Amino acid sequence: MSLSPFLRSPFTDLTGAMVSHQWYGQCADMELKVMDCLEAYGVDKGRKKCDTLIQDFQECASRKIRNQRIIEMRQERHRQYKAGERSKEDLYVPTIKTNGY
Amino acid sequence: MAAAIPRQDMPPTGGYKPIPYKRIPARTYFSGPALIAGYFGITAGSCYLYYLNCLSVHREEIERRSAEFALYPMLLAERDRVYMKQLRVNRDAEEELMKNVPGWEVGTLYGKPVYRNLPKDTLIEPGYVEYYAHANYKDFAKRTNLSRWS
Repeated sequence: MSLSPFLRSPFTDLTGAMVSHQWYGQCADMELKVMDCLEAYGVDKGRKKCDTLIQDFQECASRKIRNQRIIEMRQERHRQYKAGERSKEDLYVPTIKTNGY
Repeated sequence: MAAAIPRQDMPPTGGYKPIPYKRIPARTYFSGPALIAGYFGITAGSCYLYYLNCLSVHREEIERRSAEFALYPMLLAERDRVYMKQLRVNRDAEEELMKNVPGWEVGTLYGKPVYRNLPKDTLIEPGYVEYYAHANYKDFAKRTNLSRWS
């Protein structure tokens, strides 16, 4: 496989496979797709070819876009409240039921 | 100096009473074999009662388990229904909230989708914070501390 670490040693062999998303499940499928793609094209070409796959996987692992979305929406909500476009009763959306999640 | 005449103590006339050394045994209600037989008899009787009790306990357990099995899919479906309803509420709230923000599309970050390769109709399940993104912090904390209140 072309995905070997920069300095290979018995320690990297031992610990390389310990942390992966295959244990957790949510991003396992995306990770597998990324690995398949990178294995097919190699690292250098794969970076371009598998760009969307890698970005999807990184999003799934890091949740950057999602968290940024939440922050933007909160900020917009509070901005509207401070600007007077939103009343206090209207500030938040009531949750339907507590144990829905 | 007249010396007092010492008088020796002597037994009473007619001699001492005889010492009562005869053993007086406690009154016995049951004989030994009767006690052992009674022990086994009462144990056998209580074992039978215990068996009857076990039967009824097992029967109640089965009853409760069947009720749980019967209820579980319904509770699960109810929870899923509440979940989907809340997702809809969240989407509508986002649409209403960000309608004046230029370049914002619902479900994206200024038009940038969360995932690029997924099909359009895939349900991207929100995270915990995302699920409560439009909610009051009190509701969020209530759900977070639910296990501590129950």
